[in-house]
Amino acid sequence: MFAPPLQRLIDELSKLPGIGPKSAQRVAFYLLKVTPSEAGLLADSITEVKEKVRLCAVCFNVADEEICQYCRDSRRDSTVVCVVQEPPDIAAIERTREYQGLYHVLQGAISPIEGIGPDHLRIRELLERLRHPADGRPPATEVIVATNPNTEGDATAMYLERLLTPLGVRVTRLASGLPVGGDLEYADEVTLGRALGGRRQMGA
Amino acid sequence: MRVDKLAVEDFRNYGKAATDLAPGVNLVVGRNAQGKTNLLEAVHCLSGLGSPRSPDVALVRNGADAAVLHALVTRGERSLTLDMEIKPGRGTRVLVNKTPVSGARALGALTTSVFFGPDELSLIKGTPDGRRKFLDDLVVKLRPAREGLRREWDRILKQRNALLKSAPRGHRGELATLDVWDDAMCRVGASLTAARIEVLAALLPHARKRYEAIAGAGRLELTYLSAWVSRELCDQALVDPAATDERQLQEMLAAAVASVRARELDRGISLVGPQRDDAGVLLEATSQESTGVLDARMYASQGDQRTVALALKLAELDHLSEVTREEPILLLDDVFSELDPLRRSWLGEAVHDLGQTLVSSAEPGAIESAAADRVIEVVGGTLRDVSV
Ligand SMILES: [Zn+2]
Repeated sequence: MFAPPLQRLIDELSKLPGIGPKSAQRVAFYLLKVTPSEAGLLADSITEVKEKVRLCAVCFNVADEEICQYCRDSRRDSTVVCVVQEPPDIAAIERTREYQGLYHVLQGAISPIEGIGPDHLRIRELLERLRHPADGRPPATEVIVATNPNTEGDATAMYLERLLTPLGVRVTRLASGLPVGGDLEYADEVTLGRALGGRRQMGA
Repeated sequence: MRVDKLAVEDFRNYGKAATDLAPGVNLVVGRNAQGKTNLLEAVHCLSGLGSPRSPDVALVRNGADAAVLHALVTRGERSLTLDMEIKPGRGTRVLVNKTPVSGARALGALTTSVFFGPDELSLIKGTPDGRRKFLDDLVVKLRPAREGLRREWDRILKQRNALLKSAPRGHRGELATLDVWDDAMCRVGASLTAARIEVLAALLPHARKRYEAIAGAGRLELTYLSAWVSRELCDQALVDPAATDERQLQEMLAAAVASVRARELDRGISLVGPQRDDAGVLLEATSQESTGVLDARMYASQGDQRTVALALKLAELDHLSEVTREEPILLLDDVFSELDPLRRSWLGEAVHDLGQTLVSSAEPGAIESAAADRVIEVVGGTLRDVSV
């Protein structure tokens, strides 16, 4: 046990993803050594991100305004919506420069083990969006399902296909070529670009 | 393939130990509980499939946080260094020629071995999960890329069971996804089953030959036992596995799953599928007392069961050699003491026709040490070359 303020910092840090008790301790002791202004920068950036960054009201990507940069951009093709699990997946797809449509972030994937069902994801909002497109923009005719190429991502894709096909939109899934069992976020540009080019209709 | 040098650190009862191994028969001697089995187990771990006996956590010496293996391996014309760090809960890190490799690529790059110990009797006598594991391990050894298939199957089954378990409490939203998990289960379950039947069919001729050679008489039969695959398809598939229609398997599983839906929702667990299948081992008896085909699990003597288990393991080795064009390493843990003198001498002869073999024994005379290319003595976690 360390002095209570230090122990509290260690406890908070070890709640972060990918940080175990040992790393938390290392980071905490590092922070003890930095100047107050450096520590202040870190503390402020955490406060600022919580104050200023929120989820886009349309697509649930991270945004610094009510609507994110992609949803705001009228040059983007509103007839195609690409559905991803997490915001970093959008950055990965943008790096390919292969895609000009809009996005929708589910904020996860179906996983009964973790108690995550369709109601916990932004699926209702996706349906709503497809039924009632934004004013003055052409409605979506295609939904590209770009969930992670693993068991949970595939199940989510299959679920969406069943749900969306009756609405009359074309539902496509990224073609294989992505590493199985991996996270979309970590796929390299070439692989991801090829997968986008080769997307196929689901259930066909 | 063979292991020329092996060094272990913090592995089971070993602190630090190393030994050279001969290309042929290596006899590992010593009293009980000195580390003979652990040495064979270390060689098996070099295959990347973990311990043949227990979860990885048991492999690490008390008080250490990782077990480390270093080996110099010869495969065909190539000489490779393998370094492996087994950290329970954190996975296993593998370096081949000092370069990290992972996943299916690692399995393909590592050694292949076949382990036979006293527990292998459970392959015949034990519960179906031992036989399923035997088939599934072999599926992966033959085609490392199928490790992904096996992992995906496990994951789907876990997810589906979690969903079924949550069902009675009336989460309507979650249950809407059951169809999706059914589809995934049928698709991946059919692939896994086709792979298992293919492996079983490939083993059958080898297992028969080995059984006849060890037992002297009698005929071994293998079947795939399943509540959802039709008898005709199983029988046909064992004769001609290439003709197995995965789509047909998928339809059979879908029908079976649909028929137990109400009971599954009630019980909160998956009730039908490859996770409940089994391999049947039958012996066509030729002795005076009994004739006809008998289930080896129930009717064979302990000696016969051991012979069948050994025949299956040697069949695995034969088939792996045939497919990979490399002889796997054979690990025989304390089996000689369990065999009658006739079978013992047969096995003693047979190992000389195989590739690299490690034979452990507490009895110095189990296999004549003169017949071994190297004799390694194990005393309290230390290794000593005592070849004559
Ligand atoms: Zn947006």
